[in-house]
Amino acid sequence: MAHAQAEDTRVDWEGALVQRARTGDRRAFERLYREHAGRVYGLCLRMTRDAQLAEDCTQDTFINAWRALGKFETRSSLSTWLHRIAVNVSLAKRRKSGRVESPPEEEEGQGCEWTLETPVEVHEIESAIGELPEGARDALVLHALYGYSHIEAAQMLGIAEGTCKAQLHRARKLLRERLGMEVN
Amino acid sequence: MTSSPDTEARKVTSLRELPQSIEPPHDLWPGIEAQLEDIPGAANGATPAQRRAVRLRWLAAAAMVACAAVGVWIGRSLLPGTPGGATAPVTASRAPAITGVAPTALDAAYVSDPRYQQQRAELVRALQARLATLPPSERDKVTASLQAIEKAKADLEQALGHDPSNALLQELLVNTYQDEMRVLTDVHEASDPGRGI
Repeated sequence: MAHAQAEDTRVDWEGALVQRARTGDRRAFERLYREHAGRVYGLCLRMTRDAQLAEDCTQDTFINAWRALGKFETRSSLSTWLHRIAVNVSLAKRRKSGRVESPPEEEEGQGCEWTLETPVEVHEIESAIGELPEGARDALVLHALYGYSHIEAAQMLGIAEGTCKAQLHRARKLLRERLGMEVN
Repeated sequence: MTSSPDTEARKVTSLRELPQSIEPPHDLWPGIEAQLEDIPGAANGATPAQRRAVRLRWLAAAAMVACAAVGVWIGRSLLPGTPGGATAPVTASRAPAITGVAPTALDAAYVSDPRYQQQRAELVRALQARLATLPPSERDKVTASLQAIEKAKADLEQALGHDPSNALLQELLVNTYQDEMRVLTDVHEASDPGRGI
């Protein structure tokens, strides 16, 4: 209950900042940046595996957001909206750098919790995720780390839902091999 | 991955336990803010919701005007006519306008009450003399009122020209004649010694 109230307060406060930013208030937009920069940068870093590129993507994400803030519907989540922009920016940067891989054949992937057989240190699992092929990593990061559904992740990545599931299936198989344990 | 040693050493049993947020190695805001300078910004683009709000405000304003007009119409329909007793009925006569505009074929529909026509003609004839007896501020007020009424009549007649069977427009036109008669009567009475508008 208290958590729900805190969440409501946070959203209202965020909505007010969005309204102010829409009128051109940069201080309000800076506060939104401070609130969301970590999550945006985390996503960009995991998608690009390059700190400098992730910084560029984060900057571009917020610049694009400022430009498009008038189109943002305040009913939806600002965090999700920023993530969508961040994914688009990261994919575009990657395409520009020539790193494009062909998607796997669509198949029905299995739903899973992404739990590990035994505890693993953060740096080890992050390293294993970082070594995944881009398509599999993108799907895994959005679905398993950031909690987006198959459909949402697929929409963000601009791929079919079946392809997203196939990428997740692939990611799980590769993680299992690299970590030497079950990933359920 | 750039995160604190404590975080990296922590063990997790699910990918959901991995930190979603990773702070950038340095503050990116100054670079972002510098680029915002060159961008017109969000303020220039109205959202669909904002556009809807503007439309709604206009609709609300139009609705208020319409309600006021209907309210006046209903009120006038229920209340007695002008103080002088010369009420312009729905089929009231249309005397020549104060400004001397020739009556149109449409106006002929209102010329059916000789008493109204006669009384109005007398008031109009006496108007200039009566006005001369009023203080300048009141004279200006009366002139402005009559001009506004004339403008309203012209607008209503024009609208009726496009939609002759519109009952509401017809009622509003008759009411405007009543307003005119009320002003003329007030001027007539105010010019009597010891009275004012």
